[in-house]
This record gives sequence, C-alpha cells and structure tokens, in this order.
Amino acid sequence: MNLLDRYIHEVGRFLPRKKRGSIQAELRSSVVDTLEDRFGPDPDQTQVEEILLEFGKPRDVAASYHPRGQYLVGPGLYPLFQMVAWIVVAAVLGAQLLAFGVGVFIAGEPFSALETLVALVSSVPASLGWVVITFMILQYFDAKPYLDEEPWDPKALPERNPEEDLKKGELTFGLVFGILFLALVTLAPEWIGFITTPGGEFYPNPVILDYLVLIQVSLLATIMMNIYLLWKGGWSFVTRMIKLGLDAFSVVILAFLIQGHNAWLAAKGSPSFSAWISAIESNNWELVGMHAFRIAFVVAFVVTVIEIVATIFRMVRSKMAGDVSAKDFVLKVE
Amino acid sequence: MRSMMMKHTQSEQYQKLTQELRRGILVLAALSQLEDEKYGYSLISSLADKGLDIEQGTLYPLLRRLEDQGLLKSEWNTEGSRPRRYYQISSEGSQVLEDLTKEWRNLTDVMERLLAGSSS
Repeated sequence: MNLLDRYIHEVGRFLPRKKRGSIQAELRSSVVDTLEDRFGPDPDQTQVEEILLEFGKPRDVAASYHPRGQYLVGPGLYPLFQMVAWIVVAAVLGAQLLAFGVGVFIAGEPFSALETLVALVSSVPASLGWVVITFMILQYFDAKPYLDEEPWDPKALPERNPEEDLKKGELTFGLVFGILFLALVTLAPEWIGFITTPGGEFYPNPVILDYLVLIQVSLLATIMMNIYLLWKGGWSFVTRMIKLGLDAFSVVILAFLIQGHNAWLAAKGSPSFSAWISAIESNNWELVGMHAFRIAFVVAFVVTVIEIVATIFRMVRSKMAGDVSAKDFVLKVE
Repeated sequence: MRSMMMKHTQSEQYQKLTQELRRGILVLAALSQLEDEKYGYSLISSLADKGLDIEQGTLYPLLRRLEDQGLLKSEWNTEGSRPRRYYQISSEGSQVLEDLTKEWRNLTDVMERLLAGSSS
C-alpha cells in the first residue's frame, strides 16, 4: 500500500462512517491534483511526503470535517451542564452529610473521619460521571437546551436579592462572637461547661476539651474569612468556595463532638434521648448538661449542612443570573 | 530573552487575529468564484491567482458545510483523467452571495471611515 493510500485510510479512521467514503475520495482527488500541478504526473516518495505534510495530520484533517466540532459537552449545552453539575454536587454532599449526622446521632454509629472523607470524595466523581454521561448523550444527538430557545426579556431579569449582598451587621456580630469564643477556648478552656441553676455547681465539658485544637483552627479560619469579607465588601466565587470549605470543616468537627458526647453518655449509661428525661427526674445535672450540649451540636450540625446547600444554591443562582463578577469566571468564558 | 518571548507571543497573537479576520470572508470568497462549477483544487488555484491563499484543509470542509446548508450543489464527474467532485453555487447560494456582497461593501465603507479616523 503506497503512502497516499495509507494517508487516506488513516484520515478515514477518524471520520464519521456515513460520510467517510465520499470525503476520502475527494481528499484523494485533491492530493493527486496538487501533486500533479506541483510535480507532474509521476511524483516521487519525497514529493508525496511534502504534500501530505502540507495537508496536515490525518486526525486534524478528519476533525476539520466535523461541522459542530468535537465536544464531549459543547458550548451550547455547557451552561446547563454546569448548573446541573452544581445542583447534583450540592444534593449529593448535603444528603451524605445529613445521612452521616443521622447515623452518628440517632443510630449511634461510630464516626470515622477517614471513612466519611472517602465516602464524600468517591461519591462526587461518581455522581458527576453520570451527569457527564447524560450530557455526552445529549451532545451526541445534538440536543438543544430549552433555556436557549426562551425569548429573552430584560424585564424578566431577577430582582437583586438583598440576601446576596454582604450583611455587615451579621458579619461584625459573628466576628466579635468568634474572637470572644476563640479567646475563651484558648485562654480558659477549663471554663467551658455548664453551671446548674439550683446549687450553682460548675461542670466542665470533657469532650470539647478533646477537640480543642480543631475548634481553635476552625474559629481562627472563620474570623480571618469574616475580616477579609468586611474588607472586600462583598462575596465572590472564591470566597463562597472558601466558605463552603470552612463549613465542611465545621461539619466534621461537629460530627466528632456529637460522637464524643455519644461515647461519654453511653459510658455513663445514658445514651438515648429518653434517658435525658430520667436524668432530669433524678437531678443528675452533669448528665442533663451533656445531653443539652449534644442536642446543641446536632442542631448546629444540621444548620451548617443546610448552610452548605444554601451556599451552593446561591452560587448556582448567581451564575445563572450572571450576577457573579466577570473576573471570577473569566477563565471559564475563555 | 524576555523581549524575544514577547515578540514570539505577539507574532502568534497577530497570526491568530489574521486567521480570524480571514475566516470571516472565506464563505463570500468561495461563493463568488463558483458561478461556474469548479473542483476543489481548481477553486484554490482560482482564489490564489486573485491573491487569496487558502489552505486545502480549510477549503474542503468549508465546501462541504456550504453544500449541507444548501448554498452549493456538487456532483462527481468521472469524465476526466480521474474522478473529481465539482461544486457550483445553488439558486439559494446566489441570493446569499448577493446579500453578503452588499453587507461586505457596507462593512468595507464603514471600516474605511473608521480606519481613516483612527489614523488621522
């Protein structure tokens, strides 16, 4: 098989079956025309090589015949893909974190940070994989997203939601509270506990002391984040991502704390909810206090998970409304 | 070294910009030369003779796209020394050529005025 035949065959490997024969025939005719015009009717091997180099790599030549380009997910579908991908990630993470919370608190399952992390890390690519496969199929059939066909009306632009703006009062309050709490856990950790109203006896919380370093790191990071936000005066894609990371870190610490309280209460023979009532009835204030701490951490856990989902939802909504500053997305737009 | 790199980047950027600029006129150029039927290589030669060099890898897929859009029609001719695919503008293509030509003339007028303003 001569060089030209091999070239034409190689180009054909990358062409759609339907048009392969016709494109190959035309390509052959064009190469031979060029050869004849340039070198006469009987070109040698070197001259054929020269012309084939001019025509280009077989894969590139074949690619130029794909009318819509070769995309896994093309530009037409990409905005929809991005939105769906974010929603799926938020739903999967939210559902898993809640499931862990329920498992640890209600079912009293042991908490393993490594297992939790592995489960989270493996579930995201798996769910995203399904989204990609779905969009690959849509791309293959050249599906047009419904969003693009909607006539666009400037009046339909979403109202600017004040919630999207930075709440300075709330941030400042959080900052002051965070600094005070950090000072407490750093300077006088032994004061963390509870005092019973009848009798005024103080009971320290031993579980919180076990996770003091993690709590300090989380508080410090949140304080720095709040200072940065107050300085910048608004949210950006990057700060929302950092907020997500900090919230996820808090969820892990809260899970540790809940599990620690579970273990402590179980060791005292008072593991379940109903045991709280009997602790109150028997005036065992140490148990009552630890039950109260556990409830507070569970509430904080659920609230933080909801906050993570809400942050992701805001990011998706901001993106859809074109409300994120251009510099945050400039890399994606290019 | 840095200035050499910058020059290299600038020349690459210039090439890309030139390619983009030329890409926009290729449809008009091809349609304008296909009142009479031509095969690919003869169209490339015809354009080159008039000063527009176009790569084969760009022209052939373009001809296919224009045919898919109904602006060109084609048929294989086996009478010559080898079979060749001949392209000719369709009636729809002629109408598009007329409209595009008007648009092109408007654009060149506007651009002349803009460029004259920027150079003064």
